[in-house]
Amino acid sequence: MRDVIICRCEEVTLSQLEEIIKHHDPSARELKLRTRAGMGICGGKTCRPLLDKVLQKLTDKPPTDDIPLKVQPPVRPTSLAQLGGSGDET
Amino acid sequence: MQKHDAVIIGAGPAGLNAAIALRKHDLNVLVIDEFPHLGGRLLGQLHEEPNGEWWNGIKEAEKLVNEAKALNTEMLTNVSVHHIQRKDGAFVVHTNRKNYEAKNVLIATGAAETANPIPGWTLPGVMTIGAAQVMTNVHRVRVGEKGIVIGVNVLAAAIARELLLAGIRLHSLALPINNAVTDEQSHPKMVMERLSRIAHLAPSPLLRFGGKFAKYKWAQNIAVSFYPKKGINMWDVPIHLRKAVKEINGTEQVESVTMVDITKDGEIIPGTEEEIPVDFVCIAGGLYPLAELAAVVGVPFKYVEPLGGHVPVHNEKMETPVEGVYVAGNITGIESAKVARAQGKVAGLSIAFRMKKDAAIQKEIEKAMDEVKTTRDNATIQFHPEIARGRDDIHAQFNKYLNG
Ligand SMILES: Cc1cc2nc3c(=O)[nH]c(=O)nc-3n(C[C@H](O)[C@H](O)[C@H](O)COP(=O)(O)OP(=O)(O)OC[C@H]3O[C@@H](n4cnc5c(N)ncnc54)[C@H](O)[C@@H]3O)c2cc1C
Repeated sequence: MRDVIICRCEEVTLSQLEEIIKHHDPSARELKLRTRAGMGICGGKTCRPLLDKVLQKLTDKPPTDDIPLKVQPPVRPTSLAQLGGSGDET
Repeated sequence: MQKHDAVIIGAGPAGLNAAIALRKHDLNVLVIDEFPHLGGRLLGQLHEEPNGEWWNGIKEAEKLVNEAKALNTEMLTNVSVHHIQRKDGAFVVHTNRKNYEAKNVLIATGAAETANPIPGWTLPGVMTIGAAQVMTNVHRVRVGEKGIVIGVNVLAAAIARELLLAGIRLHSLALPINNAVTDEQSHPKMVMERLSRIAHLAPSPLLRFGGKFAKYKWAQNIAVSFYPKKGINMWDVPIHLRKAVKEINGTEQVESVTMVDITKDGEIIPGTEEEIPVDFVCIAGGLYPLAELAAVVGVPFKYVEPLGGHVPVHNEKMETPVEGVYVAGNITGIESAKVARAQGKVAGLSIAFRMKKDAAIQKEIEKAMDEVKTTRDNATIQFHPEIARGRDDIHAQFNKYLNG
């Protein structure tokens, strides 16, 4: 059977994630940093819940109350001009 | 810069009804939504209630929008909020247009869909079931000639019906193949258990069928063990609990899926592979609260499974522990549009009370809170059987925050 892509932007597969989880028992952040899953242009829009699920299922840890991967602004793809304030102020 | 009494993010039933309540108290409100049309997820909805009446989301959205407009509510579409900052006891709402200042913010951003990732799910022609709903009912674009739905749950059943009404052909609804992510969605017994507990409410024969097995685990077990190979038909489309899609095939786009028979525990029965030609695939993996903005403005979270996952901590008045930040609708837990609408009213009134400290508003809030409960109790569509327990959990968490 073909492998399953989990993070579309960075093309990270389920078996790559499984491999990292097996060898490193990582936190959500470590899993992200080691694979780039969730670091693509969409900012994890599609894969965030999938990553949470993979980690939770394979490490058998109950979900924490805090969101596993910290949510960072901007929560939508945004141009630098908008962030820099030039598109700002009334 | 003008400071609004309230900026509302999301123009779904929750956000719009909150805006109406605020305008009735003559407060200065701005509603922001990133979709081109006002109405949120209402715009895609069309279902038949058990009493035979139809719930037409486009009409319901129109009613709310017209009422808001009659009250001179300022509403923006095509504007995305990407950050909310706290500043001197108030808020700066950052958008792709400009920044807006607000004394209060209501985050009513609704829900998002999760995927059932299986091999081939990134091919063109594969979409979420919600995308198919929006294409069909909002944009009026044909999603394809013949497709298959992967995932058997309330949302899948509701939207499958809508696709059929629009004249689109479906091969069937089937489970995704088991992996670490599809997990309970791929497990016939778990799927049956969940369906049977919400069965009595649902408008569809699929779910009513599940209702027969509602009370007894053994009955569900038997139902799964002897589940007919050809599925059980709902509006002439088979629902499969003992068949799963193992793979989606195609070079440039979807051409077919590979289906296999599975045991009652979700394991593949060897030698049962069958290739089914389809030109589109809908993935129905379920909904979770879209709460990113609550996170960046510093609202604490709690994991409450019946509500759909991580939800911002809040109380029955729709206040969060961050003073001036309110939440309403599906961001607080996955429920029907009617519940979201009722919650929106509570949130609007709570903000009005914070601004005016008028005892009469307090009375209105209490009434509106009762309305939320009645609406929940009478819901004809429910996404999780334990919703009431989930609500108690999150409200208790709010009190813990205040007291501890
Ligand atoms: C695909 C799908 C199908 C559904 N089908 C049904 C159904 O058939 N029946 C049913 O009862 N319920 C259904 N629901 C549940 C639905 O969420 C509720 O019915 C109801 O619409 C929730 O209302 P709401 O006001 O909380 O959010 P929504 O109606 O989802 O409105 C939220 C709005 O916020 C906007 N928004 C989100 N983030 C931002 C941002 N950062 N900046 C600007 N705007 C933003 C969105 O564009 C959206 O218009 C469905 C949900 C989904 C996701």
